[in-house]
Amino acid sequence: MNTPHVHLLLNHVPTVGTIIAVALLILSFIRKNDGLRRVSLELFCVIALVTLPAYLSGLGTALQFEQRPDVVKAIMDRHHDAAVFGSIFMVLTGGAAWLCLWQQRRLGRSKAGMIGTVLVLSVVTVAAMARTANLGGEIRHPEILLDPDAAAAATAEVAPSFLSAAAIAKFVTGHTWVWPTMEAVHFIGLWLLFGVVVLVNLRMLGMMKSASFAAVHRLLPWAVLGLGVNLTTGMMFVLGAPGQYLENIAFFWKMGLLLLAGLDVLYLTVFDAPWAVGAGDEAPPLEKAMAASALVMWVGVMYFGRMLPFIGNAF
Amino acid sequence: MDFLLRLEQSGFATWVREGGTIWGYPFILFCHTLGLGTLAGVNGSIDLRILGFAPQLPLAPLKRFFPLLWGAFAVTAASGTALLVADATTKLASPVFYVKMVFVALAIANLQLLKTHVFGNPRLDEQNLPGSARLLAVTSLLFWIAATTAGRLMAYLGPVSGLK
Repeated sequence: MNTPHVHLLLNHVPTVGTIIAVALLILSFIRKNDGLRRVSLELFCVIALVTLPAYLSGLGTALQFEQRPDVVKAIMDRHHDAAVFGSIFMVLTGGAAWLCLWQQRRLGRSKAGMIGTVLVLSVVTVAAMARTANLGGEIRHPEILLDPDAAAAATAEVAPSFLSAAAIAKFVTGHTWVWPTMEAVHFIGLWLLFGVVVLVNLRMLGMMKSASFAAVHRLLPWAVLGLGVNLTTGMMFVLGAPGQYLENIAFFWKMGLLLLAGLDVLYLTVFDAPWAVGAGDEAPPLEKAMAASALVMWVGVMYFGRMLPFIGNAF
Repeated sequence: MDFLLRLEQSGFATWVREGGTIWGYPFILFCHTLGLGTLAGVNGSIDLRILGFAPQLPLAPLKRFFPLLWGAFAVTAASGTALLVADATTKLASPVFYVKMVFVALAIANLQLLKTHVFGNPRLDEQNLPGSARLLAVTSLLFWIAATTAGRLMAYLGPVSGLK
């Protein structure tokens, strides 16, 4: 299995998956079913996480395909622009959906404004992903094109021009202050995220048993904020110097561990087992194992991030 | 300068810099990141709690994290010293390095003040926190943000040796 193959497999998750999740969300309004709503919100979070490798494998494919004579670069670039726009909205949708789930734990229900936000963001995402998928299809499927020449020559913008891959790359590499500033922000995001994650998981491992899991969980939005900051700055690095990351084995490991660690954050919010750990309670062995592995994964994300210039291709 | 040069050319410093093994410069750099992530991160979480987030989380048990914080500080300081020795003539000539050291010192002094002034109170969770506690939490966050920023900028501003 190579990078294009991985991309062809994963790209269906944000495209088809989002449609299913939106359908479930709308169905949950019609049937007034909270369980259904939770499933759709959880689905958005998972899809947002999988969008990360779906996007990155696409970028890796683009790097490999750039020189191929049988691929029209213009179509590939438009597919990329649509993908950047769609991925931004997908991640925003996932973040908002997670906040809804967090609110449900805190208030017993999510606020109407938050659910509305998810609905609006997800509809934009579905449209952007459909556009992305369509343009992606045009790269290798001439049979779907009525006029292949027109497709290659199309210039209509698929996303706001300041969000195009080229514009972001130019912003990141075109000013000497941007990269260092993003690095500083990336490290502040790192400790914001890591500090909360350490606190929550060490509670499960028994470090301050007098606090209930529910009380510690209230800090988790700060970790998700740190994650959002680092996804944003991280994607700017990747767009600024794609080859530096996508052809680097350390980056592959970093993203793999990030995906698992991200799923663990979702686990902590939606599964009932950690929530059963009250003030003074010892967490069950399975929860301790989960907490220990989450810490290992976050340290691993940090390790492979720091090793990017040293393992694989040096910067 | 002569002393710094000799320091930089010592066996240990040369191994850190040029050993060519992942356990030299790269691993020490990772230890530095792990230490700062734990120290600034857990301290930052405690600051956020003092500022009123996660109000049901009792403050008193957070005292248990202080040994972890001092341990993380030890790891960060030890790894930082090794990184400094490996690159002494450049780093000690960089104004950004001294800015960073000032903010680290302020952040550590601030942490000690949090420990005595806020966590020293045995009836911590029964009384309202004094305004000074909130002020200490804000300055703590600002000092760590400034220290992190200055630390990261050392790779870009002023004299830079090429070591990341």
